[in-house]
Amino acid sequence: MPMITAALETPQELVACTLPQWEELIHQARRANLLSRIALDLAELGLLPRVPLAPRAHLEAALVMAAAQMEAVKREVGVLRTVLSTVGVDLVLLKGAAYLIAGLPAARGRVFSDVDILVPSGKLPDVENALMLHGWSTTYHSAYDQRYYRKWMHELPPLRHNTRRTVLDVHHAILPVTARLKPDSAKLLAASRPVGGEDRLRVLCPVDMILHSATHLFHNDDLRQGLRDLADLDSLLRHFGQEPGFWEELPRRAAELDLARPLCYGLRYATRFLGTPVPSEARASADIGRPPRIVGRLMDLLYDRALRPVSPSDAGALTPLSRHALYVRAHWLRMPPLLLAWHLSVKALRREEETTT
Amino acid sequence: MVFSPKVRWRAVSADVLAWRDWDCEVVVFNQATGSTHLLGELGGEVFRRLVGAEGGASVDALAAGLTDEPTGADNADWSAAVAGVLSDFARLGLAEPDVS
Amino acid sequence: MIVAELSNRELEQRLNGPGLRLRTGPVVARIQSPLPSIARAIALQYADYATEDEASFSDFRVRVGRPRNLRRWLRPQAQFFVDGNLPFTPLPLDQAFPMLEWGLNWCVSAHCHQFLIFHAAVVEKTGRALILPAPPGSGKSTLCAGLVNRGWRLLSDELTLIDLASCEVVPLPRPVSLKNASIDVIRAFAPAVTIGPTVRDTTKGSVAHMRAPSESVRRGMETARPGWIVLPRYEAGSAARLTSLSKGRGLMHMADNAFNYSAHGRRGFECLAQFVDQSSCYEFAYGDLEEAAAVFNDLAAGP
Repeated sequence: MPMITAALETPQELVACTLPQWEELIHQARRANLLSRIALDLAELGLLPRVPLAPRAHLEAALVMAAAQMEAVKREVGVLRTVLSTVGVDLVLLKGAAYLIAGLPAARGRVFSDVDILVPSGKLPDVENALMLHGWSTTYHSAYDQRYYRKWMHELPPLRHNTRRTVLDVHHAILPVTARLKPDSAKLLAASRPVGGEDRLRVLCPVDMILHSATHLFHNDDLRQGLRDLADLDSLLRHFGQEPGFWEELPRRAAELDLARPLCYGLRYATRFLGTPVPSEARASADIGRPPRIVGRLMDLLYDRALRPVSPSDAGALTPLSRHALYVRAHWLRMPPLLLAWHLSVKALRREEETTT
Repeated sequence: MVFSPKVRWRAVSADVLAWRDWDCEVVVFNQATGSTHLLGELGGEVFRRLVGAEGGASVDALAAGLTDEPTGADNADWSAAVAGVLSDFARLGLAEPDVS
Repeated sequence: MIVAELSNRELEQRLNGPGLRLRTGPVVARIQSPLPSIARAIALQYADYATEDEASFSDFRVRVGRPRNLRRWLRPQAQFFVDGNLPFTPLPLDQAFPMLEWGLNWCVSAHCHQFLIFHAAVVEKTGRALILPAPPGSGKSTLCAGLVNRGWRLLSDELTLIDLASCEVVPLPRPVSLKNASIDVIRAFAPAVTIGPTVRDTTKGSVAHMRAPSESVRRGMETARPGWIVLPRYEAGSAARLTSLSKGRGLMHMADNAFNYSAHGRRGFECLAQFVDQSSCYEFAYGDLEEAAAVFNDLAAGP
């Protein structure tokens, strides 16, 4: 089993690692964007002082970044709340920002790359205008890209704030128009819950949050993010799994939202790789969404590869070009314009705007 | 936003602000926004007086402290200048009017 | 063991195999590459640098190789991997070594947040740091290379690291990158230095690397106290002119040139403020390197 998955399950055993093992773990954790999560696990167990100095510096650095990103997300949510209220739209948060504002364990040690929100498709023009007015600009500039996004995708082209340099993804659905599955966004919005003591600041209800996480995981081009997304799913399932009626509601709602297949995969891989405790009745109900056998075997193969550390020489063979964009986006913290110029002057950083063809 | 010159202003809590006073300038860090600001002569002076004033200070009181001139037209200019500075401070989250 | 003590074959074996674990100041980079140009450049530029053995910890795993795509036959390219990620687009193969250097800088600026990291050159004399924060094109690398050949110790030509606990500058001695006209300027200024081959047509123009002086490498663990913060500006034909800068402005310039100042919040402010408080800040215009060096040597001779 890769070190990283063992580290997620039993962090306390990491104190026995040798220096080369720490190097390997940090390498894997960086690839999976899980370094701050591991660091936080160790910090909360009071084990950081037992980590040798050289690797400890990286764990502490990851904590600094995670803390700074959390503050940045909170500020961003505050600003968005105000902006959306000018057009009478609730701020419904998705993914990381939602986990953070809702105080969920899934927010722990998280790397936040951007903020995702869900908006009724009818309100999209108003929201987009309000955002532009308050300093956000689109990042995809070609007419082709704009048309493509607006016609086929479930979100606007990513928006970037002019001064804060933060990225915002405005979704009107959780899957593209072109996807075979058609979860109804209106239902998601209707079932959303207020958070942070405010009625107009909301997140998806627990079951929907989990279904969204599973859907995102299994529709993401970038398999390499798979382990981090799976860790999210595992965290959400463990947290909400204790609520009465949850395990009955989950497959029922999945069927209602046409998301039975993603749920099946989600439960399968979470239990398989992270040992998520899922009642067998729930597994059985979810299995109704299982794929045909041959597809299932292929998926197992793909996900095994995604979650196994890949040596650099393999990376070329597996890498879709879209992987790069995600890595660049992960460096979200506001970079002063001068520094951005430095990076861009090298002209070596792959721009997020570059689309794959 | 326009505030009455009699309204008392106070600097945001010292828990949230950190600063250095160097010659005529003040550099302030605001933890709530994560921003760092360089205050020029007037801004720096208003800031110093504001943090030094227990219980806050009104625009007029701050302006009066800046000039030795007796009441006159000049004071109105000073008050306007101070009001402008305080308005900027409010926008940056460095100070707030006491509207209690 | 230092790199010079490895035979060419041993060096190539390590680079082709488990990786060469190279120490540069506080960081150890594990470098892998099948490219002969990388082996040659490392043998030249990093001869004095210590290598670590396999039972140790490397801060980054980097690899410079060739992309496995159709293009490899049409237009040879190099690409830079770190921890399996590709932060850069591939570049022409002859730019492999500059790419490694940019990549190593990127690694530090992206990960070493135990320090405040600034885009600035830094040199040392009398135990005090002279920091030259500046955007690209301000001539800081040339000035840095010049000073290093007039009695100053090289700490870094690109990334200034300030330890958050001690508020001292931590060295990161690496080859000094020179661009375009600077290459010849430094050759003339310091004929004895080792400068590697010039690589042309990069996005920065022509690029070459000056080997870091052995002493700078040897003293790579010695920190420096706050000394001077100087904003340089090269103006052809200009006489050297040093003008005082307020500490407030000095701090703001440093913050503007920092990679991770905001991330450290209040702690970053307090550390930077303490550092600036103990530094003298200046703006500096110059047209002649020798004259510039004289000005700074005078500065160092003072209190």
